[in-house]
Amino acid sequence: MTDSPLPDRPADVDGLPALEAWEVFRREKEGDPMRHGGSVMAPDAVLAVHYARELFGRRGESAALWVVRRADIHELDDPDLLDPPLDRSFKKPGGYVMRDKLAAARERSGQAKPRPKTGGRPKADDARRPKADDR
Amino acid sequence: MTAAADLLPATRNALSLLLLSMADDEFVIGFSDSEWTGIAPLLEEDVAMSSIAQDEIGHARALYELLADVVADGRDADAWAYDRPPDGYYHARLLDHPRGDWADTIVRRYLYDTADAVRLDALAGSSFAPLRDLVGKLRREERYHLMHVEAWFERLARGGAEPRRRLLDALQRLGPDAGTVLTPLPTELALDMAGILAAPFPELEARWRASLAAAFGHLDLPPLPPTRDPGTARTTHSDAFRRLHEEFTLVRRIDPEATW
Repeated sequence: MTDSPLPDRPADVDGLPALEAWEVFRREKEGDPMRHGGSVMAPDAVLAVHYARELFGRRGESAALWVVRRADIHELDDPDLLDPPLDRSFKKPGGYVMRDKLAAARERSGQAKPRPKTGGRPKADDARRPKADDR
Repeated sequence: MTAAADLLPATRNALSLLLLSMADDEFVIGFSDSEWTGIAPLLEEDVAMSSIAQDEIGHARALYELLADVVADGRDADAWAYDRPPDGYYHARLLDHPRGDWADTIVRRYLYDTADAVRLDALAGSSFAPLRDLVGKLRREERYHLMHVEAWFERLARGGAEPRRRLLDALQRLGPDAGTVLTPLPTELALDMAGILAAPFPELEARWRASLAAAFGHLDLPPLPPTRDPGTARTTHSDAFRRLHEEFTLVRRIDPEATW
């Protein structure tokens, strides 16, 4: 239940096996991506899934859960690899406007522009403001 | 049959007793298991056991509401749950044992949940539609309870010397009362005749014992003994239950109008 690793209980104290951390990912509703929810401590995968269900799913707030042993996660947090010191802004797609090309391609293929999903954030001025997927 | 008013008087009496036994079972095990809140062996298990205990109280509530409809004597679900003296409760003697240690709780849950699953299976096609519908919902939640308690039961049986010793001790204490969940009700003939229950209780008990014998053999545990004193399976209650009753009726006795 904590985000920092707890010291494992020594095996066989009070007959309990050693606990380890399991990361829990949850899908809030069908079609959503998996998002990290938190973690649980458990002695094995079966109980980890039970506890994940109790902590992240007992109120009907999840459509699916993934439970992963923290030790099985390959982590990359090296700043040399993730946060290079030189200017890399040219690798960002911000300057490349593809709205007109996309509109032309749609016209050729006869497909209409997809309607925004209901429940999203489309506003009246949506058509005038370039969105991420129009670039 | 979709309404209690359509039932013959004998059927209605038998159905009432069945609902009372099921509701009291769920109510008492729910309250007993809630005694672990705050002191379970690990934090995650504390949440799990408390949540399961809450589920059982929810099942009891639904069953008491159905009972109140069937009996229709003006008592509501709260009155059924809280306004009876200890000897007016009709839960199985298996649930009369004190909380004990973690192994006692796991063994009690395991024996009760496996027997309750057989009972619910036999009610899944009940001729009384309101009960059939409710049982459909109860079974969906009980499936998880069963997975949870089976996981613990196996871990105690195979978890080394001390867990196994505690499990065996608990089985010795609770084993002779395990069969009380499926001990025949005095009115069960009427349930069979009305098609409310798919099979008579002795048949359900035999089914349950056979599946348990397989699981126990797998874990190298001694077989369950026959039921001790089946004539009072649901009618004589322990001092431990009287203490629990004292506690769960406390708020109701102080303030009968309290709502929660």
